[in-house]
Amino acid sequence: MSVVQNNSEKNKWYLIGILGGMVITMKHLLKNLFNKKKMDTLNYPEEKYEYSNRFKGNHVLTVKKDGSLRCTACMLCATNCPAECIKITAAEHNDPTVEKFPISYEIDILRCIFCGFCEEACPVDAIRMGPEWQTPAVNGSKFIYDINHLAYRPNLKGGILSHVDDEERHKSGI
Amino acid sequence: MPKCTINGKEIEVKNGTTIIEAMYENKQSIAHYCYHPGLSVAGVCRLCMVEIEGNPRVQIACNTTIAEGMKINNTSAKVKDAVKWGLDFHLINHPLDCPICDQAGECGLQDQYMEFGKYDPEMAEKKQKKHKVVDLGPTVVLDSERCILCSRCVRFTDEVSKTHELGLFNRGDRTEIGTVEGIQLNNKYSLNVVDICPVGALTSKDFRFRQRVWYLKDSETICTGCSTGCSVKVYFNKEGMFRVKPVYNEQVNGHWMCDEGRGIYKFTNKEARLLKAKKGQGGTWTELAPGAAAKEVAPLLKKAGDSLALVLTAQYTVEEYETILSTFVNTFKTKKIFFWINNKESFDSFDGLLLRGDKNPNTKGLLKTLQKYNVTTSWAELKSGLDSGAIKTLVVAGPENQAVFPDLHERIAEFSKAQNLIWMQAGSNEKLESLTGNVTLIPLKTFVEKNGTFINHQGLEQKIKRVTTIVSEALTLDQAAHLISGEEIPVFVPPTTETLVETNRRPDEVMLEHRKKNEFVFRRGTL
Repeated sequence: MSVVQNNSEKNKWYLIGILGGMVITMKHLLKNLFNKKKMDTLNYPEEKYEYSNRFKGNHVLTVKKDGSLRCTACMLCATNCPAECIKITAAEHNDPTVEKFPISYEIDILRCIFCGFCEEACPVDAIRMGPEWQTPAVNGSKFIYDINHLAYRPNLKGGILSHVDDEERHKSGI
Repeated sequence: MPKCTINGKEIEVKNGTTIIEAMYENKQSIAHYCYHPGLSVAGVCRLCMVEIEGNPRVQIACNTTIAEGMKINNTSAKVKDAVKWGLDFHLINHPLDCPICDQAGECGLQDQYMEFGKYDPEMAEKKQKKHKVVDLGPTVVLDSERCILCSRCVRFTDEVSKTHELGLFNRGDRTEIGTVEGIQLNNKYSLNVVDICPVGALTSKDFRFRQRVWYLKDSETICTGCSTGCSVKVYFNKEGMFRVKPVYNEQVNGHWMCDEGRGIYKFTNKEARLLKAKKGQGGTWTELAPGAAAKEVAPLLKKAGDSLALVLTAQYTVEEYETILSTFVNTFKTKKIFFWINNKESFDSFDGLLLRGDKNPNTKGLLKTLQKYNVTTSWAELKSGLDSGAIKTLVVAGPENQAVFPDLHERIAEFSKAQNLIWMQAGSNEKLESLTGNVTLIPLKTFVEKNGTFINHQGLEQKIKRVTTIVSEALTLDQAAHLISGEEIPVFVPPTTETLVETNRRPDEVMLEHRKKNEFVFRRGTL
């Protein structure tokens, strides 16, 4: 391969361009040193950028007032899921007013395409898409989220309350 | 023979036919809940409204007999409006808990609502609270709130099972289905009330919450629970079989089936099955492919000569008996073929409706084939042969449904006296796997995985079709018979492709035709 050298007169003035660049770099360096608050970058992963609550990221299973799962294991989310990433095993509850509940609710988050159809299909506001989106893990099995993670992970602080309450519905006679 | 016009179509019906029956026969759709062709007419749901010309008001079709020249119509706006508001009344106290209701997906209310309803409810009053999750008996759970009081189940216990357990209690909107205190819904046909319930009020404890119905496929087959041979539908998906429901068959079972027959799906599922052939020698077992195991015993059987015997149970199809008998009679030249009769005492009993004491689907078929090959042996001959050591090699086509063989353990102990025991059956059995002699266990296919014919107690030949494949490597008795006689069976050989990567196929693996379209095995491609 032949290298074409550009030895024109104009090319010898490169130093001015470099110095100009250095000035800009130094300007930002000094600005950031003395005014850290206005810095545009983040110290990831120590600092994280939080999205709005309306962002559709990782799923959250909501809970009732007593802290138990709101989900009734109707399987509408699993039926509606285009990626087939939701797996629910239903069981009979001891309390006759609850009747049916999921003993296992698993979402394979690597298969999930975050379309939000599960949230739309849910008749009792049991599943929502939360604002979380940075969820790395060390191996594949960690990406299958179970009830413990979906409803009670630490940053949910004891669970998120569902809007649909059976007790209130029964009281109003619906 | 009165003539009438239904929706513009002129038809002739028998005397005394009701309008709804005529519509059923002519495949016209009509909304209804309380009418069931197998039960008496109650006329309580008021949904099968039809307009008859010359009659100012709409009438119910189930309790009106057709008269000469009637002009009947159920597609007019008037009828549709009547059905729509009739449905509104049904739904006044219905809890609409479809998400947790097992009937959702096959519910009469859902279907009719989508077809005729679609109104905004105009009820201002609160819904009536009733009992939820009532334990009616060992098989059925009741949810009174969902009940629309069609009284089908009450009529069923009164007219078909004649056990009179269920009844309607209280009046008006407080009416509930229930049993008298201290009495349970406990009869041999109790699960039929679940089938005829048009809503989710009665649900089966066995099937409750196990699957949503829209995840299930269905296919028609024959019940192998007893020699009645009811026509049934099996419901299954990738995870296995889930339930059995009756299909109308005028000659055999009518609309019903027994509770016992509904359990036959259990032994076809993978958990209960023998998945690999097993070869035992002095208590140590080695696993191998079923086809390979069957091939391996071929020389042993050929050598055996006169000391070879075969025990058959009446749980296989006629075609399979034909092959195995011709193998033994023609190839091995032995007529030591024995018919293993389970529960001898109750073999001929009959409960008057459907249940028979003969718990095999194909006793008639086996006897017919034995007669054809002129096999006349008695059980005592086998016993004395095993005791004296005249029978050294014993091939057993064991029971598919092991639950109906109370003498199974006893027989296993008895047969294990033979020097070489070749036991072919679908299900796994601990007792068999704890034998210490020379034993080969070969897995067979169950009735849902093969084609064939069953002959029921009346001598009626009924064909079964393959529904699905659960254990893909298992053999049918037909294939096993060919393999143990040293013959080859047509196998599916996948086209060889030149690959640099080694395939994971064993040299002794028998590739069967079904394997390529088996939906239960997910084969990942080679790299």
